[in-house]
This record gives sequence, C-alpha cells and structure tokens, in this order.
Amino acid sequence: MNHTQREVHALTELLETIADHKYVLGDRLVEVGVSGPNIEATLAAIAMAQGELGHARLLYNWCFDLRGIRGKKAEIYGQTGKAFTSIVNVNNWITLIAALYATNLAIDIVWQSFLQANHPAVTSRIQKLIREQQDHLIYAKSWAYELRHEQGAIPSRFAQALNHTVNEVYVWLTEIEKKEELQTEGYLPMNINLANQFKEHLKEVAAESLVQMN
Amino acid sequence: MVATKRKTFDIFARIKRGDPLTHIGTVEAENEHLAKVYASFTYDEEDWSEMTVVDRSQIVWVKKPNWLFAQKEGRVR
Repeated sequence: MNHTQREVHALTELLETIADHKYVLGDRLVEVGVSGPNIEATLAAIAMAQGELGHARLLYNWCFDLRGIRGKKAEIYGQTGKAFTSIVNVNNWITLIAALYATNLAIDIVWQSFLQANHPAVTSRIQKLIREQQDHLIYAKSWAYELRHEQGAIPSRFAQALNHTVNEVYVWLTEIEKKEELQTEGYLPMNINLANQFKEHLKEVAAESLVQMN
Repeated sequence: MVATKRKTFDIFARIKRGDPLTHIGTVEAENEHLAKVYASFTYDEEDWSEMTVVDRSQIVWVKKPNWLFAQKEGRVR
C-alpha cells in the first residue's frame, strides 16, 4: 500500500465506522423509538431513523467510491461490524437516548474537525449531512438532559447506559487522533484533541459527573 | 415518566415568502429545543420557507374570547 492509498484507506475506514454507527442507530430508533414516552418523541424518533439510515447509505456509497467501485452500488444488508456494542445492545428508551446522544455528539465533533481542516474532497460531501444531523443532536441532548434530571432510578440507569457508550466513544476518538495519515493528508487538522472536546461537550447536559472515562 | 412539565407550543408557518403566517398546529414538548425538533419532524408536509414555535403561555392576548369548549371544574361546558 503506497503513501496515498494508506491515507485514503484511513479515511474510508473512518467513514465506514460512522456509517455503521448510523445504520445501527437507525435500526434501533425504529425498534425502540416506536415505544417512546409520548407521541411527539415517537414520531421524531421514526423520522430520525429515516435520516440516520439515509446518512449511512450515503456514507457507504462514498466508501465504495473511495475503494474505486464504480457502477451500480451494492445494496446494504447490514453493518460491517464496526458499530459500538452499546448501540447494538440498545433495548429500551434509556439506553437508546444514551447511545444516540453520545454517538451523535462524537460524530458531530469528527465532522466539525473535518470542516476545520477544509479538505476539498471531504467538505462538500458532508455539509448537508451535518446540517441534517443538528436536529438529531438537539433531540438527543434534550432527552439526555431530561433523563439526567428525572426522578427515581432513571438518572442512575441513564448514567450506567451513558458510561457504556462513552467509554467506547472515548476509545474510538483517541484512535482517530492517533491516525497520522488523516492529519498528514489534511483530512483532519494537526494535533486535534477530539476526546477532550467530547468531555467538554458532556457538560452541556451536566453529564460529565455521570461518566468515568479512563 | 418525565418529571419536567410539558408545555404547549403553537406552530406558525408560511409556505412562500409573502404568504400569510398561518397557525398550522401545536406540539407538546418539555422545552423549546424539543418543540423545534418536534415541529420540524411532525409538520413536514410542506417545504416551509418560515416556521416558528411559540410557547402558548408566553402569548400576550389583546382580545381573548371565551373558548367554546373550555374546561370548568373538570367538566366540559
């Protein structure tokens, strides 16, 4: 694998991981989101599922392009195995919101870093996607805040679920930071600190005290 | 399930610039951020050029009629 191939491979792997997260989130938003606590939250969950699955499809097709696969794109029947275990295991409203919030926040931080680097091959393809994802992030953040300030056992169950996803997110973001290929090619800015940005954002829902990142 | 009291938000929108701003419905939400998201996902039948959500409790009335089906002492009049 030559110099350029290695960098494109690193980008493809990253995009495919994001696509996997979105694919599984879309699936879980339909399966679990349909039994949301009220009709508005349920309707929004189903609408967001369509959005996440659409983004996943777009990203998988982009990966096909980067791998040089031309012509009719293959149908997607499942993720490639890179999605967080905590998303795959979402089985109730609390774990859904924890996974949706932490994952979308992490993905948004990665997208914003791509925008900051302003690589021509990337920026134009992600702008619409970022705009559409903002509503998902607001929804997840607001629900995370609600569950954090709920009564009874819910805040502690939410904390437990959030911890599972956050630990996976933290490892993933640290791995991205260490991929020098992404920075040398200019896909991401030099010396980025994605994990620290993620920690800072958790403060928005007063969730930083709920999680223990290694 | 949720401790936060839900509020009613009225939704106003116009399809094209220059069209009247029309009341198109309501959503109930825990806060204004969720109200925006719910309005955008629920009332997506048009490509609105403008859409607003207004917390009903914040509306300042100039004239307020007696509602035909207003609740009184738990019973519908």
